[in-house]
Amino acid sequence: MSAEYRFIGKATPRKDARDITTGRAKYINDISVPHMLYGKVLRSRHPHANIKDIDTSKAKALAGVKAVLTWKDVPDWKVGNPLHLRVLDSKVRFVGDTVALVAAETEEIACEALELIDVDYDILPAVYDVEKATEKGAPQLYDQFPDNILPPIAPFMGDNVLQNIVIGDTEAGFREADVISEGTYAYENIPNPLPPEPPGAVAEWESPDTVHLWISSQGPYFDRMTLFYMLGRKVNVKVTACQCGGSYGSKGNSSPIFLQAIMLAKASGRPVKLCLTKEEHLNAFTLRLGSRIQGKVGMKKDGTVTAISGNWLVNTGYYSLITQGQVAVGLGEAQLIVRCRNWDLKSKVVCTNRNASGWIRGFGGQELISALFLLLSDAMQKADIDPFEFFRKNFVKYGDSTIWRDGLWWTSKVIDFTKSMDKGAEAFDWYKKWQGWLKPTSINGTKRRGIGVGVLGNADAGEDVSESLIRLDPTHHAMLYTSICEQGTGQRSSLCKMAAEVLQIPPEHVYIVPQDPSVSPYDFGSVGSRGTYAMGAGVIKAAEDAKQKLFELAAPLLNAGAELLDTRDGMIFIKDKPEKIIPWRTAMGVTRTIFGYGRHEPDFSLCNILMSFVEVEVDIETGKIDLIRVVNATDVGQIIDPPCLENQLNSCIGSAAIDSAIFEETVLDDSNGRMLTANLIDYKWRTFADLPEIKNVILETPFPSHRFGAVGVGEITTAPGPSAVLMAVSNATGRRITEYPATPDRILKALGKL
Amino acid sequence: MKHFNHVNAASVDDAVKLLGNSRGKASLMSGGTDLLGVLKDRILSDYPETVINIKTIPDLDRISEDAEGLRIGALARLEDIAQSPTVKAKYKVLAEAAAAVATPQIRRMGTLGGNLCQDVRCWYYRYPHHLGGRMICRRKGKGPCFAIKGDNRYNAILGAKSCFAVCPSDTAVALSALKAEIRIAGADGVRSVPVAGFYRPLGNVLKKDELVTEIAVSCPPEGCRQEFMKLTQRGSVDFSMVSVASVITLRDGICVDARITLGGVAPVPFSAVEAEQAIIGKPVNEIDAEAASEAAVMNAMPLSRNAYKVEITKTLVKRAIMKGLLSGKEIS
Amino acid sequence: MRDNKKGDTVKKKVVKRATATGRTIGQHNINLVVNGNPYELLIGKDVNPEHTLAYTLRETLGYTGTKISCDHGACGACTVLMDGKPVLSCMTLTIECDRRSVTTIEGLEDPKTGKLHPIQQAFIDHTAFQCGFCTPGIIMSSKALLDENPSPSKQEIEDALAGHYCRCISHYHVLDAVSDVIRKSEVK
Repeated sequence: MSAEYRFIGKATPRKDARDITTGRAKYINDISVPHMLYGKVLRSRHPHANIKDIDTSKAKALAGVKAVLTWKDVPDWKVGNPLHLRVLDSKVRFVGDTVALVAAETEEIACEALELIDVDYDILPAVYDVEKATEKGAPQLYDQFPDNILPPIAPFMGDNVLQNIVIGDTEAGFREADVISEGTYAYENIPNPLPPEPPGAVAEWESPDTVHLWISSQGPYFDRMTLFYMLGRKVNVKVTACQCGGSYGSKGNSSPIFLQAIMLAKASGRPVKLCLTKEEHLNAFTLRLGSRIQGKVGMKKDGTVTAISGNWLVNTGYYSLITQGQVAVGLGEAQLIVRCRNWDLKSKVVCTNRNASGWIRGFGGQELISALFLLLSDAMQKADIDPFEFFRKNFVKYGDSTIWRDGLWWTSKVIDFTKSMDKGAEAFDWYKKWQGWLKPTSINGTKRRGIGVGVLGNADAGEDVSESLIRLDPTHHAMLYTSICEQGTGQRSSLCKMAAEVLQIPPEHVYIVPQDPSVSPYDFGSVGSRGTYAMGAGVIKAAEDAKQKLFELAAPLLNAGAELLDTRDGMIFIKDKPEKIIPWRTAMGVTRTIFGYGRHEPDFSLCNILMSFVEVEVDIETGKIDLIRVVNATDVGQIIDPPCLENQLNSCIGSAAIDSAIFEETVLDDSNGRMLTANLIDYKWRTFADLPEIKNVILETPFPSHRFGAVGVGEITTAPGPSAVLMAVSNATGRRITEYPATPDRILKALGKL
Repeated sequence: MKHFNHVNAASVDDAVKLLGNSRGKASLMSGGTDLLGVLKDRILSDYPETVINIKTIPDLDRISEDAEGLRIGALARLEDIAQSPTVKAKYKVLAEAAAAVATPQIRRMGTLGGNLCQDVRCWYYRYPHHLGGRMICRRKGKGPCFAIKGDNRYNAILGAKSCFAVCPSDTAVALSALKAEIRIAGADGVRSVPVAGFYRPLGNVLKKDELVTEIAVSCPPEGCRQEFMKLTQRGSVDFSMVSVASVITLRDGICVDARITLGGVAPVPFSAVEAEQAIIGKPVNEIDAEAASEAAVMNAMPLSRNAYKVEITKTLVKRAIMKGLLSGKEIS
Repeated sequence: MRDNKKGDTVKKKVVKRATATGRTIGQHNINLVVNGNPYELLIGKDVNPEHTLAYTLRETLGYTGTKISCDHGACGACTVLMDGKPVLSCMTLTIECDRRSVTTIEGLEDPKTGKLHPIQQAFIDHTAFQCGFCTPGIIMSSKALLDENPSPSKQEIEDALAGHYCRCISHYHVLDAVSDVIRKSEVK
């Protein structure tokens, strides 16, 4: 494939590479504006309480303090889906919830002021368990949500957003089955994606109706738009997105922080920077969903799934920003990986008194399948089906119909994924290593090796709308206007490369506007693996549009129809008579630029795939797991930038992914609501000293996506790993391990040593 | 951080005087890799008025050996101890323990004295004040031990009564197995305490005007075999889940001396006396490492979530003994 | 001093640059060299005892290339070189850095020609970063390693970087980049 293209498929230095490696790249905490104050948050020590009284007089009197805000001082701004969480409220709903805000000349003064705020709480009972929260008599977090169940809506996904899968006849399906598996399984260790850069914002009111916000984000246009609506459509919101120090989806949940910075800036009359500490990042910012499935699966011996029924209980913590949307995508993805005609799977999104879960890479799918696979693997084991064969058989095929997140049936136009699965299995040596369920691949003293496999696909690869503009300059350069942040995927550079390929000018001559949605058109954001297809399509169309206009200007000068022309390196020529050639600037004139426009409409007919094979080694005397090897297999249609793609696939051991099955978890003490993993030693993450071997098998079979036939895959690279690891650990130890993470105590207990 | 005054100590006597004058409102700073974390999180109700920098005291970072043994200044960096040819050759268990601490940067900055004196890592004790209020527990002067009924997976299984936090120092475990002494200077003069005796259930034996100046390690027995084993979930950063340091001496095929110390399981570096006695005096081929490891944990009283530590302790003790008995590499 | 890019607003701090003739007389100060530039920081004015080196570098002197992530010494993002050795600037008090020489990420390129240090170039060539937040710290530790040991093994590189938190998982490309620097220097 790469041979066809000059730039696509070849490694290109990222446009921000020099800035990053020299320290010039500006992240949110590097921003400083004149007269800037520092914002800090007073946080609740109780998991559930009403604020009876709050006295801020001493804090306000402290020298250097310029604003102190409580729920009484601020407008009724709410976030959430539906809008339910007041940004400053008279009620606190988790340990760490916002009680008051302070802006002061220095961070130290702001911290000192927090100590001077006296709060009188009326303590309420708290609930943490997703089932207990829905029982009669459970503590209620919101008056408008009886039984703590959030309404099954997600307006931006349409009126019929998928919250339940009810298809066919599950009773008949169960009767057909050779084996039945039933039980309750959970993925509830609520790991934190924990990008290195904590979230934050700087807000400055430039006039009574204009606020300028600097943010760390993945979707600046979308942020700007939602803030506009949150501020009652009365405020012009200018957004400058900084270089983003990692997000993995999580910074999509930043609107409370944005609004807090805006409030403090308004109240103090000065710019305010509000950046979270790492402790706040761990305990008061986005976690993965809690996912519990009480279900039943029917399966035939040939791996056909005859029925799936159950209740999927989703714990969203103290509020939902987009959880119902994650449920919708999760349910859609479940159908992509399991071709089943009979479903009765119903969801409930429940709020509880802990820090909130929200938008994270894997987006509901990882959380659902990590629990659902335990149900499926039990059935596979009973039927003695090789799990790789199961996934190979059951993964969505061309022509299959599934209900996607919008509640509509979509017919899949995917390529044949079995080839990439087979290549992955070959690279991993699956058939040689697979010994059967609960059988180790090898034994060496006290060390047992076992293997597992998992898979996910996401039909959001072409989701939502993207618009792009591109400007051609008579200097033979181009400027791309796309609302895209750089948060690690290299997508800003890859989009320039796509434009370069269409326009046949070097990528170094394609520039991209700063991350400012005042300048660039609508885009949902660089999320959900949509960058390559959806954003790419918008850019390609814009470049094609601009090229067409260029050719229309050149045509009379070359005495040929525009359709007969081509361009390379700033020169336009007749395809059949390349000696008839003129430069862009002759066609355009030096006082003209050309604008092209491109728009991508949502397309849920294509999904991507990521299959992860893992090999672990378990020491059965200590319960310690070593991750030995990972093989990721995918087909992306066309690689845009090889190292960027490799990086994305390698991150299967990053942001709350594979390691959420090994050592990564947020520990909640349900006797007092405190999250105990409050630093980077107690919260476990993978180090340079623990690197497994990773091999990425990447096929390129063109997708019917856009000109380059490519789709993205980065968002789902985290998703199949956790369940694959539990499978591998179970096989290594000969015991079914069904709890996340599989820490030494759980392994030793399963082995009967405790 | 909240403001504090800062002063450089010119000598040990100067440091003692500064401590004495501070009326208990000063903190000593060596590498700073523990102190600054404690101060940033405001985990303690008291905050020092003054930080006394002792890195300015000359000659307190030496690693030297004489006829009696090894002498390490309290300010010796962990990295230097780990890489010292002398320590690696004759006090291998200490070199390995120092090399196992945290990360390269922390070993570069952290000192032996600091590693021995660092505060406990119990996550109730360490809960950051700005998140939801520090947790006032028994160790902080009043209140319950939250670990007893809470999530105690990393807490003690041996020797704990009022506080179930474990001693976090890897070097303390190794030094205890080497029967090292900690030299302390204070207003009342200098004194020595064995490493095992340095720790108390709720802290250590240092008085308010005292500081650690040196660690003295007598020459280990001729031909002894030293092992340090540390189990963590990751290859870097982590404190020990469980660790074992062993110094085993064989003579003519008989175990004549054994010192086995456990880490990560007790408020102090825990001498596994029963395990030692199970192998001392026995010929190598009669040593039952399994039985000795059972003896090591015979008095274990695990809490609700840390029974796994009993199993891991047994495993590491057994492995340390086996490796010590089987390894041909003797320390001379 | 950091670049004053158009649109940036640099918060001006009045910090006295040490002159070639020596220190200011009569005031308690800290003399610090950063990337070859001497600074004289007046205690109580330019620096307080509780200021960490990370804070001073970033907020007082404008070297925002050094990042603060965990601010507790566990992640390595704030790593700078102090007299050539990697230290955690967030766990270092500026007031204890008198007469020390610090190198930050900004100090690696040639200030006159803009030529990048081979490690920086290798990171670019291998896309040894994704979000880039951890990159300055990793580059500094890599430099310290190669300055001390020009031909480390892969294990030694991993060990040297074991104190660095990278969540995007650029580890593999980082190892490739560092290995590339080693290879090229051996060829020379």
